[in-house]
Amino acid sequence: MASSSRSTQTAVFRSLNSKLLIGSGLLLLIAFVAIFGSWLSPYAYDQMSVLQRMKPPSSAHWFGTDELGRDVFSRTLTGAGMSIAIGFGATMLSLLVGVPLGLLSGYKRGGFDEFVMRCMDVLLSMPPIMLGLLFLAVSEPSAWKAILAVGCVYIPPTVRLTRSIALELANEEFIEAARARSESTWYILIKEILPNAWPTIAVEGSLRVTFAILLGAALSFLGMGAQPPSSEWGLMISQARPYIAQAPWIALAPGLAMCLTVIAINLFGDGLRAAIDPRSASRGH
Amino acid sequence: MTLLSIKNLTVSYGSPPYQLKALNAVNIDIAPGETVALVGESGSGKSTIAMAIMDLIPRKAVSGEIFFKGRELTSLPSEERRKLRGRNISIVFQDPFTSLNPSIRIGKQIAEGLTTHLGMSNAQAMKRAAEALKEVGIADPETVANAYPHQLSGGMRQRVLIASALVCNPELLILDEPTTALDVTIEAQVLDLVQEIAARRHVGVLFITHNLGVVNKIADRVCVLYAGQLVEEGTKERVLRDPLHPYTRGLLGSIPKLGHRESRLTPIEGRFPDLTDTPTGCIFEERCPFREAACSEPQQLRSLENRRIKCWKAEPAQVETWPVTERHTSTSDVRSSDEKALVELQKITKRFTSSTGKLTLKTKLGFLPLPAVEKKSVGVLNEISLSIGRGEVLGLVGESGSGKSTLGRIMLKLIDASDGRVVFDGKEISDASDGELKEFRKRAQIVFQNPTSSLNPRRTIGDAISRAFKLANPQADRKTVRKSAEELIDRVGLPIRYFDRYPHQLSGGEKQRVGIARALASNPDLIVCDEPVSALDVSVQATVLNLFKDLRSDMNLSYLFISHDLAVISHISDRIAVLYMGTIVEEGPAAAVLDAPHHPYTEALLSAAAVPDEAETDKKRIVVKGDNIRRVTHGCVFQGRCRRQIGSICETTKPPIRETDQGLRIACHLSVDDLLMGQKQLAENS
Amino acid sequence: MALYVINRLLAVMVVLLVISMLVFGVTQIMPGDVASTIAGQFASPEVVDAIREKLGLNDPFYVQYWRWISSVVTGDFGQSLIMERPVSALISEAFMASASLAIVSFISVTLFGILLGVWAAVRRDKLADNLVSTFTYVGISIPEFFWGIVLIMFFANYLQILPSGGVASISASPGVWLSHIILPVITLTLTLIAHVSRLTRSSMLEALDSQYVRNARAKGLPERTVIFRHALPNALMPTITVLALDVGWLIGGIVVVEVVFSYPGIGRLLMFAIERHDLPLIQASILVIALIYCLANLVADLLYAVVNPKIRYGNGE
Repeated sequence: MASSSRSTQTAVFRSLNSKLLIGSGLLLLIAFVAIFGSWLSPYAYDQMSVLQRMKPPSSAHWFGTDELGRDVFSRTLTGAGMSIAIGFGATMLSLLVGVPLGLLSGYKRGGFDEFVMRCMDVLLSMPPIMLGLLFLAVSEPSAWKAILAVGCVYIPPTVRLTRSIALELANEEFIEAARARSESTWYILIKEILPNAWPTIAVEGSLRVTFAILLGAALSFLGMGAQPPSSEWGLMISQARPYIAQAPWIALAPGLAMCLTVIAINLFGDGLRAAIDPRSASRGH
Repeated sequence: MTLLSIKNLTVSYGSPPYQLKALNAVNIDIAPGETVALVGESGSGKSTIAMAIMDLIPRKAVSGEIFFKGRELTSLPSEERRKLRGRNISIVFQDPFTSLNPSIRIGKQIAEGLTTHLGMSNAQAMKRAAEALKEVGIADPETVANAYPHQLSGGMRQRVLIASALVCNPELLILDEPTTALDVTIEAQVLDLVQEIAARRHVGVLFITHNLGVVNKIADRVCVLYAGQLVEEGTKERVLRDPLHPYTRGLLGSIPKLGHRESRLTPIEGRFPDLTDTPTGCIFEERCPFREAACSEPQQLRSLENRRIKCWKAEPAQVETWPVTERHTSTSDVRSSDEKALVELQKITKRFTSSTGKLTLKTKLGFLPLPAVEKKSVGVLNEISLSIGRGEVLGLVGESGSGKSTLGRIMLKLIDASDGRVVFDGKEISDASDGELKEFRKRAQIVFQNPTSSLNPRRTIGDAISRAFKLANPQADRKTVRKSAEELIDRVGLPIRYFDRYPHQLSGGEKQRVGIARALASNPDLIVCDEPVSALDVSVQATVLNLFKDLRSDMNLSYLFISHDLAVISHISDRIAVLYMGTIVEEGPAAAVLDAPHHPYTEALLSAAAVPDEAETDKKRIVVKGDNIRRVTHGCVFQGRCRRQIGSICETTKPPIRETDQGLRIACHLSVDDLLMGQKQLAENS
Repeated sequence: MALYVINRLLAVMVVLLVISMLVFGVTQIMPGDVASTIAGQFASPEVVDAIREKLGLNDPFYVQYWRWISSVVTGDFGQSLIMERPVSALISEAFMASASLAIVSFISVTLFGILLGVWAAVRRDKLADNLVSTFTYVGISIPEFFWGIVLIMFFANYLQILPSGGVASISASPGVWLSHIILPVITLTLTLIAHVSRLTRSSMLEALDSQYVRNARAKGLPERTVIFRHALPNALMPTITVLALDVGWLIGGIVVVEVVFSYPGIGRLLMFAIERHDLPLIQASILVIALIYCLANLVADLLYAVVNPKIRYGNGE
């Protein structure tokens, strides 16, 4: 048995790869900021000061101030929560709707599968941002509607992924063994298929959060997401645009914060994949 | 002069302390025109030898010397080694389905070698490629040269790969399990081809295989490899007929032999050694029944009457018999067939639909006219009637695509038949209610082919078996469930501590035992065994076959035992049914099926399953022509491939069933006497 | 093959039909009433009602849809409510501007994405591979609107060598045209080049690990032939699908980039229309964009069929 315990050890070491370590470290920090942003920031995110307009970074205002004299550092910290909430919220929504649909489609096949997949085809035949714009154009834009819109954009890929995993697993002999002892469909889906499907779904989901954050921010940037005076990062950059020649720091701070967040999530997702399936990670899908 | 001489070849991956020794100081010589078989189970390192010769593994992993026609290869620069590949030394890999480039035409893939090594022009090379295709027995070389790989069958692709390996006239041909992915009738064709070409061109052949039956057919000399070490080497006759090394003896004792139904298999106990932590003494010591203290000393390969052997105790141990660890049970009690059948299949027919390639408009969702491909139905099973008595084992033998697995699943109602009835214990289950179906499934279970796929990787062994037991006995409390699961684990010969293990911690044979325990959990009467041993190594296969035999006689189980291997089937079955293209061509008591007369197809299967330690000349090899992919709609299913086809009647009329006194039923236009006569003639001619 | 083409064409038509219904349906429930937009802020309810009646806004949904779709297929998208010009004229002007941006970007993405991906795969785990990996990491992490602003800050404001926005005619002065288009193109392509090269690398590595490449090496073919003749054509097949999907991203990016660089294309037109609730303009821009996207995917599917013999010569779809 010496051999197997040794290989378990190496597996554990391999799973603690540097990407996962750095990624999860950064993520913890960002999550901390996102949750406690308003307590950590030295000023209120909407506290204006006519005298302090467009001041460059200083000891009082680490990242300078914006066109209304608001502290950019405080605004960036406070904005973390909203930006990340849009990304995570949208991903959660796509998982909540997409995973059950995908599992059922892949396992049951037949007419139901056909119907679901055709619906997904229609949704997929719209460029992602169009779907979001279409949803948001019909009503007054707001942050939670952005979550809804971005979530809908990512339902079809989630359904497709889950379905393909379920299709593959449905051919496994242990599923046939479950049918041969008269297990119910729900038991097979939840107890036999889901435990084997979720590692892949989780990895893909974590990587999709980054796309969701970027898409959500893009919507806010276009005025179709979070609304002023929110300090959502996309919105902050959008509002900083007229002043980039005189006060570039107003746009740089939220932009760099967003890049850091996305890189952290990407590192985490890649690291997670490497830990779960070392072979595919070396190809870096 | 030797053609190829491997000296002290060692291949190791990684660095100490976790260094994996795939090969350990192996020596092999091959003379021109000689065929040397390299035999071993998975993990023995046999393919690694081929890769080392071809320079296809990282150089830093390889140490030792490889001489090719006197030239030392390992010190040559990679570019020089490349020029030898395909030109002087060629290889054919195991899997014909993935070894050809899917986006390049066949002719081009063969011609590449010629343009690279011989500097031929494209036109010359293409012409030569077509000739090469003809040489490997492809009737229509121009068409095939123009085709893409996916348009060809597995057997055809393997011929293409052989043609491409031979096209530059190499002096050494390496074949790495070239027939393992093929059906037995196709395997026979490929072996014939290889032998014929090797003899004509006088090339040296290194034939890598796990199948001792194939070795017997093709080899001059045999090298037996175990865990990266050469344990025995000698002429085919000496090694197979009179094995000296305990591992070789164990391997031969593990193989079920046609017609030796009474004898119990003598498998090798224990587990394959850990290659990162090999012992200093004999590599086989841990599993050897004849081991003693001196075996822990380092072993040398020593010469002994024309052979070499890595065991100091081989001669004294030879007189000792291989211990039979499990109890011996007699299987001669063949049940009489007039007993009431446990399960009966009546005229089972199964059709699948497939595309015709034509387009029609079809209304979808009630209003959308969408283009749809016209479907035609293909018969997978044609009016199959079979029955299995209580405690009886029915062996179902057939090649891939014969429909044998589909039949097994229809018997359990995992798939619905298109037509026909399944009657279990007097009740028809084709239209059973949910409740009845639940009851039925407690009594009829299944064991699968792939030990890895058959267990949920996220469930412990105990959990998997407990769930099956709990479902069959809903009233049982936790303690009873746990106790029963442990009993089942013990029942299939696994230690009870495996209860909390996950499948990946088990070997293939152990996983298969868990699969059996899970099937036994509901205390069934019938088990459908769908190729349950074909994914296992020979020595493991024997232990699992013994387990099946023991369980059957202890619990009075009935099996539908499905396999492509007639030797395995004949070893375990009371009765045998031979399935070809969805039709039973022969059926009857095992002994009668193995004795003449045979259906011409059965005859070919019997020839392919020849025993490894029998002289090859005892039996004339029967090679069936053609491929097993064409489906026929009229007449006999075996038409076109049958060596005894009598004429147009075989193509137009469904053959009648011929019955013999032994209870054998053969579907053939030839009478029993005619069949018998033909087979006698064949035996006399050889 | 013919069967496959017909199949795909029909599927695209069905999808477009469904999308047109979706677009029309969704824009019907938009806030703001077309009639009151036309009538202006201070119109009396009677005037608004009269306009509504005249435009047929009181008809049932399917009648309105039918009227709309039957004029759309003839190329008539109606009159813009704000600009008071035919929508088709506005769209075609903006479309031409966007198309030049999109085409230059798409060619760069295809070229550089594949080159970088193949280079990284062939030099696996060496310096080149690590460089490309780092680049792709950064590339997929920067949002276009931020990247575009950074480029403007550096090249337009700090170095002052490139204009920060606008457009020029290619026929008048190719140099000026190029100077206007270069920053938007770099902005658009960064993420996509990163994405395409990442996936090309991975499918190239898969091809290099395959049995048929091992077999090609065993035949003694030179490494160059193994890589470019055996591995690359198979590795590029998934890349075609990825490129088609990335057209979707490209379109999304174009909307953002046109806003950032004040580029008078279809994306900026759409945003303008949404802000002003210009219904016919919204419908037309979204429909045209969806059409382009569907056609891109259709072309990719057909291209895939041409390079993949399994589809070209039957046997499987």
